[in-house]
Amino acid sequence: MLWKRQIPILIVAVIGSITLFGWFINEPSIKVFVEDDATQWYNILASFAAILGALNLIKIQVQKVLYQKPGWGYSSIAVFGFVFSIIAGFFIKGVDVEWGAHVSSEGTLFKWMFDYIFSPMSATMFSLLAFFVASASYRAFRIRNFEATLLLVSGIIIMIGRVPVGGVISSWFVMYLIVLCAGIYVNSWKKDLKITFVFVLVGISLVTIGGVLMGWPIDQPGVFYLPSIQEWIYYYPNVAGARAIMIGIGLGIFATSIRYILGIERSYIGE
Amino acid sequence: MSKLEDILLKIGSVDRRWIFIIIAIVVIIPLLVPIGMPIRATDTSKAVYDAIEDLPKGSKFLLSLEYSPSTKPENHPMAISILRHLFRNDHKVYITCLWPDGQFMAQDALSQVAEGEFNKVYGEDYVLLGYRPGAEAVVKGIVSNIRKLYSVDSKQTKIDEIPMMDGITKFKDFAFLFSVSSGYPGTIEWVQYAADPTGVPMSSGVTSIQVNEVMPYVQSGQMVGLLAGMPGAAEYESLVGEKGSATSGMDAQSIAHLVIVLFIVLGNAAYFIERKRSRKY
Amino acid sequence: MKDKKFWQVVGLILLVFFVYWLAGAPYFITDRVVMFFSIFILGSILLYNIRYAERGGEVYLRPIPGLKAVEEAVGRSTEMGRPVLYVPGIQDMDQVETVAGVVVLGHVAKMTAQYETNLNVPVARSIVMKAAREACRESYTVEGRPDMFNEDMVHYLTDDQFAYAAGVNGIMNREKPAACLYMGKFYAESLILAETGNSIGAIQIAGTASQAQIPFFVTACDYTLIGEEFFAASAYLSQKPELVGGVRGQDMIKLTVIASIIFSILMMALYESTGLGFDVTNFLTIR
Repeated sequence: MLWKRQIPILIVAVIGSITLFGWFINEPSIKVFVEDDATQWYNILASFAAILGALNLIKIQVQKVLYQKPGWGYSSIAVFGFVFSIIAGFFIKGVDVEWGAHVSSEGTLFKWMFDYIFSPMSATMFSLLAFFVASASYRAFRIRNFEATLLLVSGIIIMIGRVPVGGVISSWFVMYLIVLCAGIYVNSWKKDLKITFVFVLVGISLVTIGGVLMGWPIDQPGVFYLPSIQEWIYYYPNVAGARAIMIGIGLGIFATSIRYILGIERSYIGE
Repeated sequence: MSKLEDILLKIGSVDRRWIFIIIAIVVIIPLLVPIGMPIRATDTSKAVYDAIEDLPKGSKFLLSLEYSPSTKPENHPMAISILRHLFRNDHKVYITCLWPDGQFMAQDALSQVAEGEFNKVYGEDYVLLGYRPGAEAVVKGIVSNIRKLYSVDSKQTKIDEIPMMDGITKFKDFAFLFSVSSGYPGTIEWVQYAADPTGVPMSSGVTSIQVNEVMPYVQSGQMVGLLAGMPGAAEYESLVGEKGSATSGMDAQSIAHLVIVLFIVLGNAAYFIERKRSRKY
Repeated sequence: MKDKKFWQVVGLILLVFFVYWLAGAPYFITDRVVMFFSIFILGSILLYNIRYAERGGEVYLRPIPGLKAVEEAVGRSTEMGRPVLYVPGIQDMDQVETVAGVVVLGHVAKMTAQYETNLNVPVARSIVMKAAREACRESYTVEGRPDMFNEDMVHYLTDDQFAYAAGVNGIMNREKPAACLYMGKFYAESLILAETGNSIGAIQIAGTASQAQIPFFVTACDYTLIGEEFFAASAYLSQKPELVGGVRGQDMIKLTVIASIIFSILMMALYESTGLGFDVTNFLTIR
């Protein structure tokens, strides 16, 4: 019981306190521990722990292959990939270079594996995001309420304003679009075609007169130019919200860490 | 009108695999047949360009690459353009990697730019120090004593035998840091443990997703500008004056974004029609 | 205010520090004294509220739909005879979010033990595998179902981000879990996991403090715990006084920070316009 409860809690408390308060202490050995050794210890532990993970992976996948459980074909590929990586990393270099440098030297088996197997597969998985973003946006961006509408409009402005095509769309086109959307709103509110027609006509006339007078510059007025609006949204409301969330998360991490260091939260070692 | 509403309703409930096919088509076509849309550099990209342009010739520049093949389309063009800019101005480039994949990306970029375009000499004009495990510990190690962390470079050559490593012992010996990053550890760790405490100016190129997290550091002045995703990479290519894969990718991204917006508009149209009909009945 | 012991300890610590400061504060980096006091004050606020809850003080926790839905999700899996998939993030135990994810896993494991539902926990780090196994073993034992626990319910896939995402996607498509829970630190693979979970018709609950991934989870999942809601999950699910008090303490800390921000803005405005006062940014800058 002592080994499973009190000692782990003591280790967390001592190491946590040294790491936290060590930042305020100007003593070389503590500084070295806090800045270098503490994180290096963790990396050493994690490196040895990787062996456990690898053994677990091999055990489960080999069992699936041996007992021909559903999906055993995929497991056989996993086992083959594991063995191949071990061979390429530790046994066959392929070119006469130093061990260590062989992982990134041209012509080695490991580099070949990285360039022609790992890289394309990683890129393929990441590229799924392009499709999933499209399907998620299509499914989720619905004008259900005011907040959803705000999200939708700002999302569209950022998506178009961020890419070159947004720079090609004139601010006057955006103004015409706003007049038409306002016309739709007026129609649904007043339900009178005459009022709607007059409203839209006046709006279009004003925009046209303004355009003629200003000479139809593509990026003026700036408040309707998509890249300018996009930049403003990025730099101000977006960063303000991001900062607030960051502060909240930072405080959450602080509070959680203090609870672990003081031994108040012990669920990571069990009840 | 009712027929149009039926069509819109059908579009509103389309199988997502049709969306995947359409996205694939609209991305592939502009890559094969480029449109050549004009790239307009934003203030944050210009700030990066100006900061590097203003460095005295021959400055010691630390370039850290922490991205993997998955984000290569966004990050690699940034690394290529930055290297072109640095070598054009004859700066000394020191490359580290906080990710193991970063070393492979660094080698690709160096073989293309340093060896292929500028005929730079390894050990005199640039050095690839390579990857070391440890995340923040590596950053802290570079800040306090880089020679303790890197006793050999990526080719297993002793640091003491590399001419351009003379006089380099810690982070403050560098004039500027640029981090090409796509996650953890990356830009934020460099800001928190290196650039901000020491005052060495830094900038970064990140994926579009990370811009939110990193922009507060740009606004507070802890970072000089930012290259934001593939658009940022394309803007930097236009500033440096050499178009690359980011510029050609922007056509595809532009069309894809327009198509996604179209899907959203059609989806909402279907949503409104459905709501109207359900109220009616 | 009524906690005499708390104020005595605080007073004692301040007195000791005062004496230490008068003695020249040997080995102390004096530039960082503001940060030291900030940690002391915020930590004291947290501890005060924890003690307040432990002494029986009432603490209101607003209902968090995502956490209420966890039990529903496990129940749904039981009815459909399909497993629960739990993903504790892709980072290691040195990240607070991963630890919080493992803690929530312990609570979820209690529910799956109670309902006799299969639990599948693929992990991306070996240390997380060990910690998660212990949490599950403990939960199953506490629920009186140690026979139902199987070590292989928590299994290691790979360290690599997208290889892990591919592996989890494969598990989702083959085993078709009825509930997918994503609790921990995530990066770009979040949308890949959430969309795949959506395509198999699973109920999805996500919790993360990874700011950039929150929008993806909000879009694709049924319920999302945003930021501190995720850290409060352990308190919410266990209802233990010390944890619930910690959540209240966190909110008090946030109020303190808000008050400091407003005070600093006013002070800076006064200083920059009239020269009165002091440069707050210089005072608060961490060195």
